[in-house]
Amino acid sequence: MLTALAALLLVVLASLALGVRDIDPVEVWRALTAPVAGFVDHDVVLDQRLPRTVVGLAAGVALGTAGTLIQGVTRNPIADPGLLGLNSGASLAVVCAVWIFGVTSPIGYVWFAFVGAAAAAAIVFSVGRGQPVRLALVGAAVTALITPLITLVLLRDQQAFNLYRFWSVGSLTGRGLDTVAMLWPFVLVGVVLAAALAHRLNMLALGDDVATALGQRVGTTRALAAVAIVLLAGTATSLAGPVALVGLVVPHAARRLVGTDYRWIMAIGALLGPVMLLTADVLGRLVLPRSELEAGVVAALLGAPVLVAVARGRNVAGA
Amino acid sequence: MAGDLRTSALRTTVAGLRATRRRRQVLVLTGMVLVVLVAGTGALLMGAAGLTPGQAIAGAVGLGDKGDVFVVQKLRLPRVEAAVVVGAAFGLAGALFQSTLRNPLASPDILGISTGASLGAVTGTLVLGLSGVALSGLAFTGAGTIALLIWVLAWRKGLHSIRFVLVGVGLAYLCASLIAWIMARSQEQEAAAVLTWTVGSVSDIRGEQLALVAAGTLVLAVAVAVVARTQGPLALGDDNARALGVHVDAARVGALLLAVALVALATSAGGPIAFVALVAPAIARRLVNDGGAALAASAATGAALTLVADVVGQHGLLGVAAPVGIVTGLVGAPYLLWLLATTEKRSR
Repeated sequence: MLTALAALLLVVLASLALGVRDIDPVEVWRALTAPVAGFVDHDVVLDQRLPRTVVGLAAGVALGTAGTLIQGVTRNPIADPGLLGLNSGASLAVVCAVWIFGVTSPIGYVWFAFVGAAAAAAIVFSVGRGQPVRLALVGAAVTALITPLITLVLLRDQQAFNLYRFWSVGSLTGRGLDTVAMLWPFVLVGVVLAAALAHRLNMLALGDDVATALGQRVGTTRALAAVAIVLLAGTATSLAGPVALVGLVVPHAARRLVGTDYRWIMAIGALLGPVMLLTADVLGRLVLPRSELEAGVVAALLGAPVLVAVARGRNVAGA
Repeated sequence: MAGDLRTSALRTTVAGLRATRRRRQVLVLTGMVLVVLVAGTGALLMGAAGLTPGQAIAGAVGLGDKGDVFVVQKLRLPRVEAAVVVGAAFGLAGALFQSTLRNPLASPDILGISTGASLGAVTGTLVLGLSGVALSGLAFTGAGTIALLIWVLAWRKGLHSIRFVLVGVGLAYLCASLIAWIMARSQEQEAAAVLTWTVGSVSDIRGEQLALVAAGTLVLAVAVAVVARTQGPLALGDDNARALGVHVDAARVGALLLAVALVALATSAGGPIAFVALVAPAIARRLVNDGGAALAASAATGAALTLVADVVGQHGLLGVAAPVGIVTGLVGAPYLLWLLATTEKRSR
């Protein structure tokens, strides 16, 4: 737990201090405490690095927590915001926002992404009726239904295609603090709900029948989890685009570190989410000279090996 | 005496259940074949050169007007056959993946094998500037490489399904984000052109290639029929299957090898036709509803789904002429959702 916190602190500092432009750590500190207007170094820290760090924190916490909840509720180790149809719902809404309403600024399509994710989740959870296998399958079916719709819009509308190309990679840049200021309450409510549900997920992991026998209202747990998932995954996708791998890898990594108790997995997951997303973002700034790799790409490059390592580990769930 | 009576009653019940199961399977298979026939006939009749049913049949057997014969034999029939063959291969492969790995989400789409093919094709087009056969080859290589990688990375004293699935999903995301990155970095027009390659199409499979894919699929399907006996016990879990005398690792490796071969074959011809391998077995299992893998029904459903999707996409029923891979999800997913919403019975 402490290690995870320390890692988070470290990566936040790195995210503020490192980048394409070399800035002295002392200047970074001054930029935060006593900014001088018009001084380029300070402007870079305040206008670019600070916002993307905050966006990464919010989206990372949301993704880590949402991923843990989703895997707990569906009892499927490959379930994530992508597989539950949330990302495709958000993507379709964004693409339609550009195609029909000509929206092009992040602050404009944030709400479309959110509503799209929520609508997809509503279909998935109502048709899935909370049964784990069915939930996962309905999520995949909804994704299968929405993905071609996205492609159809992209084939028709050049502008939507252009915007989507960049949005779908997943990135922390170009979103201002104003977006986070709008969306952070959702993350907070989602995380609180998730924390409250962690103990119930432990019982749910033993099967519906056992959980019911232990006095749990399984339906209520699932409904509350659904609300939290929509709030968290919806926010994350609105903020950073469809960066699904974080939500998939983080719970597995957390399980590897702290065992099977969802109260611990949830806490560690909420910390590891931003660690992973910000690490990806920082690495993306450094690997290429004079240019950047988007956080989404680096997160996938980082996440896939982690997932492989977890899968090869001795304690992988279900093996 | 009483015991004998009870045994014989049990026998009658079991025999009755088996007969019901078989009837149901035959019913589903017949239904899917009917769908294929109707959609196939429709595909032969529709198009720029409108044909009457008589002309189409005459053309198919090589009689009648030369133009009609050309249109039917060289253009329309191969496309129908390609959709059926490729669809059946994907459907069968999906059913094998899902039953062997005991995860209803395990399909080449989600395990990264199809995504690997897309990545190969996208790299070939946008980075290397390839086209035609070389591109098919690269797609095939992409699918094969990912399958091999999953295998190597997931192997640890045998092939555990959960490891296989997790590694596959990780690689799928890796490929998908690389595709997104390449598309974001390339020219607008080129990126748009490659969009169709990421979803698959059956419009250009004919002649020798078609014969090759059809023969290959047939051989693999026969092999699947041979190994299918172990699929039932495997569905009960590794320990139970072992207790029933099944060599679990050998059975799983065999089934997965066949599934990968089917996907690679179909992908090399049609590209990664989206969601057939995910949706067709899910539909077939629900229709047959006997708790088994529904292999034959999945193949038939895959063929029907792909053919119907191609007819819908080809004749611009969506407002634009769309490659089959865009339509398969649109045709299959609502039906699957409807099945999921209406079946009360708890699924596997």
